[in-house]
Amino acid sequence: MATTQTERLTVSDKSNFWRRIPGAGVVALLGLTLAGCASDAELDTLKPESGTADEIYGLVLPVFIVAGLVLVLICGAVLWLALKNRVPTYEGDDEFPEQVSHNNTLEITWTIVPAVIMVIIAVLTIVTHISINKDEAAAIEIEVDGEARMWDPTIVVVGQQWWWEYRYYLDEFDLDASMLEDPRDLPPADIVTSGQFAIPTGVEVDLVVTSRDVIHSHWIPRLNGKRDAVPGRFSPWKIEADDPGVYFGQCTEFCGLSHSRMRMQAIAMDEADFQQWIDMQMSPATFGEELQPYVASYRAGEPATVSEDASGVLRGLDTFVAQCASCHLVDGLNDLDYDGAEVVSGSAPNLTHFANNTTFAGAIFDLYNDDGTFNRDDLAAWIRNPNDVKANFANDLADGELPRGMPNRNLTERQISDVIDFLETLGPRPSDERIAATEVE
Amino acid sequence: MAITEEPLALTSGEAATVERPLGALTRPKGGNGWRDWLSTVDHKKIGIMYGVAAMFFFVVGGIEALLIRLQLAAPDGQILSAEVYNQVFTMHGVTMVFLFIMPLAAAFANYLIPLQIGARDVAFPRLNALSFWIWISGAVFLNTSWIVGGGGADCGWFCYSPNSGLAFSPSHGVDFYVIGLQIAGVASLISAANLIVTVLNMRAPGMTLFRMPVLTWMLLVTQFLLLFALPVITVALFLLMFDRLFDAQFFNPETGGDPLLWQHLFWIFGHPEVYIIILPSFGIISEIIPTFSRKPIFGYSFMVFSGIAIGFMGWGVWAHHMFVSGIGPFSVAAFSLSTMFIAVPTGVKILNWLATMWGGKLRFTTAMLFAVGTVAMFTIGGLSGVTHSLAPADSQQTDTYYIVAHFHYVIFGGGVLGLMGGLYFWWPKIFGHCLNEFWGKVHFWVILVGFNLTFGPMHVVGLQGMSRRIDTYAAGYGFEFWNLVATIGSFIIALGVLIFFFNVWKSRRDAADLPAPGPDPWDARSLEWMLPSPTPEHNFDTIPVVESEDEWWHRKYGYDENKRVVRIATIEEAAQDGSATGVHLPAPSFWPLVLALGLPLIGYGLIFNLWLAVVGGALTGLAIYSWALEPVDDPDADHGHGHDDHHDDDDDGGDDHAADDSEPVTAGAEGGE
Repeated sequence: MATTQTERLTVSDKSNFWRRIPGAGVVALLGLTLAGCASDAELDTLKPESGTADEIYGLVLPVFIVAGLVLVLICGAVLWLALKNRVPTYEGDDEFPEQVSHNNTLEITWTIVPAVIMVIIAVLTIVTHISINKDEAAAIEIEVDGEARMWDPTIVVVGQQWWWEYRYYLDEFDLDASMLEDPRDLPPADIVTSGQFAIPTGVEVDLVVTSRDVIHSHWIPRLNGKRDAVPGRFSPWKIEADDPGVYFGQCTEFCGLSHSRMRMQAIAMDEADFQQWIDMQMSPATFGEELQPYVASYRAGEPATVSEDASGVLRGLDTFVAQCASCHLVDGLNDLDYDGAEVVSGSAPNLTHFANNTTFAGAIFDLYNDDGTFNRDDLAAWIRNPNDVKANFANDLADGELPRGMPNRNLTERQISDVIDFLETLGPRPSDERIAATEVE
Repeated sequence: MAITEEPLALTSGEAATVERPLGALTRPKGGNGWRDWLSTVDHKKIGIMYGVAAMFFFVVGGIEALLIRLQLAAPDGQILSAEVYNQVFTMHGVTMVFLFIMPLAAAFANYLIPLQIGARDVAFPRLNALSFWIWISGAVFLNTSWIVGGGGADCGWFCYSPNSGLAFSPSHGVDFYVIGLQIAGVASLISAANLIVTVLNMRAPGMTLFRMPVLTWMLLVTQFLLLFALPVITVALFLLMFDRLFDAQFFNPETGGDPLLWQHLFWIFGHPEVYIIILPSFGIISEIIPTFSRKPIFGYSFMVFSGIAIGFMGWGVWAHHMFVSGIGPFSVAAFSLSTMFIAVPTGVKILNWLATMWGGKLRFTTAMLFAVGTVAMFTIGGLSGVTHSLAPADSQQTDTYYIVAHFHYVIFGGGVLGLMGGLYFWWPKIFGHCLNEFWGKVHFWVILVGFNLTFGPMHVVGLQGMSRRIDTYAAGYGFEFWNLVATIGSFIIALGVLIFFFNVWKSRRDAADLPAPGPDPWDARSLEWMLPSPTPEHNFDTIPVVESEDEWWHRKYGYDENKRVVRIATIEEAAQDGSATGVHLPAPSFWPLVLALGLPLIGYGLIFNLWLAVVGGALTGLAIYSWALEPVDDPDADHGHGHDDHHDDDDDGGDDHAADDSEPVTAGAEGGE
C-alpha cells in the first residue's frame, strides 16, 4: 500500500500515558458517582421512605448492579481489545488477521442470553408494577365535627401554574371528569390546602391527580414515583409514608415559566396529629377580638372604614379585603361572596390557615425563619412584586388576557407590612419541630 | 461508464428532439462558483452543503447548550431569565435534533449511498436538491423566530400540549416551531423517498441487497423510518398549527380535545426518531471498525437484521415516554416489555462490533477512536435505557436529569461521536486531503473527557431528584457540585469543537505540502474507495460489477491456498482514475431553490399576514410549474463521444459489458424524475 499522509502521522503516537486515560477515567467516574450519591438530598430517589418507594428501589437496584457489570464487561472488553490488538500502522505489514466473518452459534448465543436476562427483568418488573398499582387503601377512622366516621383516605391533587392544590373530601364523593362542565370546577371540598398536604402515616392514601391548566407532574420521590397532572383527566396514584416527617417534592413535567419554582411537601403525621390537623383545617379562620367587628361588618356587606391610626393587623385586614380577597379565599371572611380567582386557572391558594403552613408561593419560600420568627422579608418581597421573586405572567397583559400567577398590586410598603401582620394571624402557628423539618439543609 | 450515442434520457426509443426553451427555463450550466452551488443537483455537493449547514447549526445549538450550562453552574442562576431560559433549552433540543444530527446524517446518506452502491447519482437529483433547499429554508425560518417572532419556542422540544397552546404560549415562538418543523419535515420525506428508490433501483450490477455495505443498509432502514415517522409528526404539528392559528380545539380539554393525543402522535414519531438519529452512526462505525481491524464486519447478516429489527421494534415502544402520563397500567406494562426487548438487537450490535475487533489488528486512527468511543459511550446510554424500561423505576427517573444523561449518552455518545468518526474517515474522499491525525486525536480525547464530565454527573443529580427543564435550582438539594462539574465539562466539549474547526482549517492549509491521500488512504473495503479523492463529479468511470460483500477489498486482496490473505492488486491498479470524459450527468437547476424559498414565505404569511402566504404560494407554484416545463437536459450539454473514453477496469474486463447494461438504469432515473 502506498505511503499516505495519515499513516506517517500515526507512527509516533504511542505513549503509555494516553493509553491509561480511559481506564482511569472509568474508575474515577464510578468512584465519584458513588461519592455523589452518598450526600444527603431531600429529593433523592435512592432513599425510599415508604413501602411503594421501597419496592421501586428494590426493583431497580439489582438492575443497576447488573447494568454496571455489563458496562464494566463491555468497556473492559473495549479497552482490553484496544490495548492488546493495537498496531501502529499497516504499512509494510502483509500479515492479515484471520478473516473471521461470522459465527452463528456465538451470535445466536449472544442474542438469546440478553433476551433471557431481559425476561427475568421483565418478570420482576411486571410483579412490581402490579404490586404498586394495586389499590390497597383501607378506610381509616377519623372524627369530623365530633363524630367518628370511616374515611377512604383520598386527596385530589390539582396542579396549576405554578403551585399545587390539595383537596380533601371527607364524605363519600364521586369524581368523574366527563361529568364536569369545566374540568377546573371541582366540587367544593372539606379541606383545601396549597403547597403542603398532610397524610396519616402507615396507610395508603389514594391520590387523584389532575390539572387546571397545563400538564404538571406530582412527585414526592422518597414516597413514590410521579404521576402527571393532565387537565381533563383524573389519574389515580397513591402515596404512603412509614414515618412522620416532611417529604419534599418538585413538579417534574415542564409547565411553563416557573416550572422550577413549583414545589410541594407531604407532611406525614401520626394518627393523633392528623386528627388534630383535620380539626384545625375544618374550622374557619379565627380572628382576634380587634378584627371581629370588621369581619362581621364585611360579611354583612358593609365593610367598616379603618382609620389610618388603627393597628397594623386591622389595616392589613382592610387592605387584604380590598386587594387580595377577590382571588384568595379565607374561610370565615370572604367565603360568602367568593367566586373563584380571575386568573387562567381560575384558582388561587386558599389562605384560611396560611400561617399554619411552613412554606409559601408554591412551597419555594420558608414562611418561618431559622429562629422561628415569621419570614417577613421574603413575604414582603413576594407581595411587593411577585414576578421579581418567582417569574409569572400576571402583569402587562394584553386586552382580555387573564393573569397566570399573582399580579403586582402596587401596594405601599406600609400596606405590605400591614398585610403581613394580618397574614401572620391566620394560624395556628405550626410547631417548632415542623418549622425545623421544612428547612432544606 | 460506457457512453451511448443517443441522449440518454430518452430510453423509450423516441427520437432525440430537443427543443430550445426560452429564457429562464433553460437549464443552467454548472461550474462557476456560487451559482454552481445554488443550482447543483450533484449528490456530493448536496451532501457537502448538508454537512456545512449542519455544522453551523451544531455551533448554534452548542451556544444554546453553553448558556443552559452557565445558568445551571450554580444554584439560583441569574444569567438568563426564566422566559429566555425556556426558549434556549427548547431551541437547543430542536436545533440539535432537527438541524444538526438529522442533516449531518443526511450529508452522509447523500454523499455515500450512491458511491457505496455504485451509482452515478441518486434516483431523482433535482428532488435531492429540493430536499436540501427545503430543509435549510425550514431551518432558517425556525431560527428567525429569535428575531421576528419575539423569541424562540418555549415549550420544550416535545412541546407538550396544552402548554404549547396559544393560551399558555402566546408569543410566536411555537408558531415558528410548528411551521418550521413542517417545512423541514417535507425535506426529510422527499429525501427519504428519493434515497429508498436509489438504493432499491440503482445498485450496480451484482450489488445484491445483501452485498450492500452495512452503512447503506442502516441508512436505508433510516429512510424507511423517516418515511413512516415524519407523516405522524406532521399531522401533530398540523393540528397544533390549527389550534394556534385558526382556533381549532384538538388539544384543548375544555372543549373536548385531548392533550394526550399530542403526546401519542409526538412519540409515535419521536421514538423512531431516536433510531433515525442513531442508525446512521451505527452504520458508519460498522464501516470504520472492520477497516481498522483488518477484518470483515463480524456477522454481517446479524448486523443487518438487528438494524432492521430495531427499525421495526422502534414503532412499538413510543408510550414508554408516557409511563407517568396516566395511560393506564395495562398500556404501561405492555410498553415496558416491548422497550426491554428492543435492547436485544441493540446488544447484538455491540457484541458484533467487539467480535470484529477480536483478533483484529487495530489501527487507532482518529476515525477508529471515535468509532470505538461510540461503542463504549452508547453502551452506557443503552444500559441506562434498560433501567427506565422498568416502568416502576421510570416513574422515579422520568423527567429528571437522569433521562437527560441517558439520551445524551445515546444521541451524543452513540450518534454524534460516530458521525464525527465518519467525518474523519471520509474527509479525504470528500475533500481530497486527510484531516490532521494529531489534532484529530486531541479532538477526540477532549470531546470524550468533556462529554463524560458533562453528562456523567447528570445521572447523579437526576437520581438525586433534579427535574429536567428547570431554569434554576435551590441550594441544599445536593445538586451544586455535579452541576458545576457538568458546566465545566460542557466548556471542554466546546473546546473540542473549536479544535475540530481548527483542524479543518489547518489540514486544508497543510494539504498542499503533504502527499495526496490517494483513492484509498485507509485500506478500506467499500466501493467509494476505488474512486479518486476527491470523488470526481461523475463518480465512477465505469460502473463496477460487484461480486461480493466488501467488493473493493476483494479487488485488492485474495486468498492463497492456505487461506491466507494475499494482495492481488495494488490500490493504483484496482482503482479507477476518474479520467472518463463526456459522461452524461443530470443538468443543474435553480427551481428547487426557488420552490424552497416560497415555503418560509407561506410560513411568515400564516403567522403575520396571509397575503404574504399568497406570495409564497405563488412563488412555489411558479417554481413547480417551471420545474415541470424545464427541459430534462441542457440542450447544449455534451453527451459523450462514444467508447473511446471508456476505461476498463484492469482486473475485470467484464465491467465493460455490465456497465452498458447498467446504463439505462442510471440515465433513466433522471429522465423519469
